[in-house]
Amino acid sequence: MIHIEGVTKRFGSHTVLDGVDLRVAPGEVVSILGASGSGKSTLIRCINGLEKLDGGIISVDGHRVDDPKQLQLARRCSGTVFQLFNLYPHMTALQNITLAPMEVLKVPRQQAEDEARALLASVGLAGRAAAYPAQLSGGQRQRVGICRALAMKPRYLLLDEVTSALDPEMTAEVLAILARLAADGTTMLFVTHEIEFARHISNRVVFLEQGRLLADLPTAQFFAADGGLAQPRIAQFLSKMSKS
Amino acid sequence: MRYADFTPHDLLLLLQGLGVSVALFAATTVIGLAIGLAWAVLRYYRTPLLAPLVAAVAELLKNSPVLVQLFLVFFGLPVLLETDLTPEQAALITLSGNTAAFIYVIAVSAIEAVGREQLETARVFGLSRWQTLRRIVAPQAAAFGLGPLTGLLVNQLQVTSLISVIGVVDLTKVGAILNLRTLKPFIVWTVIGLLYYLMARLIARVCARAEARLRAHSQWKGL
Repeated sequence: MIHIEGVTKRFGSHTVLDGVDLRVAPGEVVSILGASGSGKSTLIRCINGLEKLDGGIISVDGHRVDDPKQLQLARRCSGTVFQLFNLYPHMTALQNITLAPMEVLKVPRQQAEDEARALLASVGLAGRAAAYPAQLSGGQRQRVGICRALAMKPRYLLLDEVTSALDPEMTAEVLAILARLAADGTTMLFVTHEIEFARHISNRVVFLEQGRLLADLPTAQFFAADGGLAQPRIAQFLSKMSKS
Repeated sequence: MRYADFTPHDLLLLLQGLGVSVALFAATTVIGLAIGLAWAVLRYYRTPLLAPLVAAVAELLKNSPVLVQLFLVFFGLPVLLETDLTPEQAALITLSGNTAAFIYVIAVSAIEAVGREQLETARVFGLSRWQTLRRIVAPQAAAFGLGPLTGLLVNQLQVTSLISVIGVVDLTKVGAILNLRTLKPFIVWTVIGLLYYLMARLIARVCARAEARLRAHSQWKGL
């Protein structure tokens, strides 16, 4: 369970997150929608301990993220996929994937590489293990990024606008993988601008507006006229997104 | 009677001087690299007290003339510590310290050139600071730093010629000796200059090779 309670985060005088409460249970797929600057990415960065909280608590499977002693354990539970991939440019696709399992989990090299190759094959990159990130397309890079997160066998997958740097074709190839992971029962918390996709694969939709949780509803209800759409701000946001 | 002509023995003398210059350059480079990189690691870990101290020492070393540092070590240190220092020892100490200061500066900026997002990613994946340094920062920083390092080393090679002033018989000192005996300054200094030039080119070449290897990952090999 990812447990977020009353989380507040400020950058200087600007409040980015303002008392956010959210729970993600194992097996759930929760998407976070909201305008740019609404605090979506910051929320992800708070969950994996990249930002210090100014208030509230976050725990992942009981490990408090805001306690430096428990942070490592909390981080082990979740895997993160980044908007701009953040692959290590000096390492091959395979090395990018095996680094953390070998260094952090002390998995033997042979086993780590076998698992990495299996992951790469599962995302259609069997032949690209020895390629460096600079030699891969954006979509391929993000698929490697997903493999890298999965290699740590996380209980939760945190995805931060993982397709927003990709063209529609590459977006489709990455979303197809995410849909498959969701179908396999992977727990996911993902920030996205792909409304249709969110509607398609998530159990719940959360809407952030200026650091506040405006809605946290089951997907069908969120998109229903008497549910999420009853809120003018959400209706306005969705209509703009579907037009573009 | 004095010999004004070049003799085969002069070649030996030249080689000897060359050997001293190369040995001193190599030794001070190795020591300077070890010290300068160690200082940069102290800074990477933001070690209290030590990191600011190191920064201050590096500032002092890189903002004062090497010749003055050389005099301070050769003439000043023995007085302070009441010991004797050979010119070679003084040269080794001074140039190692000077090289270390500049390598520290290069290493610090090379480390800072590694993207912040990479450090964050490593942290999220649970890598320790040391693992991050070893596997993520160092390989990339090495590639960034090699260009400036090449420039530094070529310069430090030329700087070794200063040690002839305190009596180390290096290549420049041999030049001075030959010049005094033969009174053919144009030939002598041309040869000496050419030897430094060739060494500098060799250093640049070795560094360029190493850099190409370190940057192999960003070279286009076709999809």
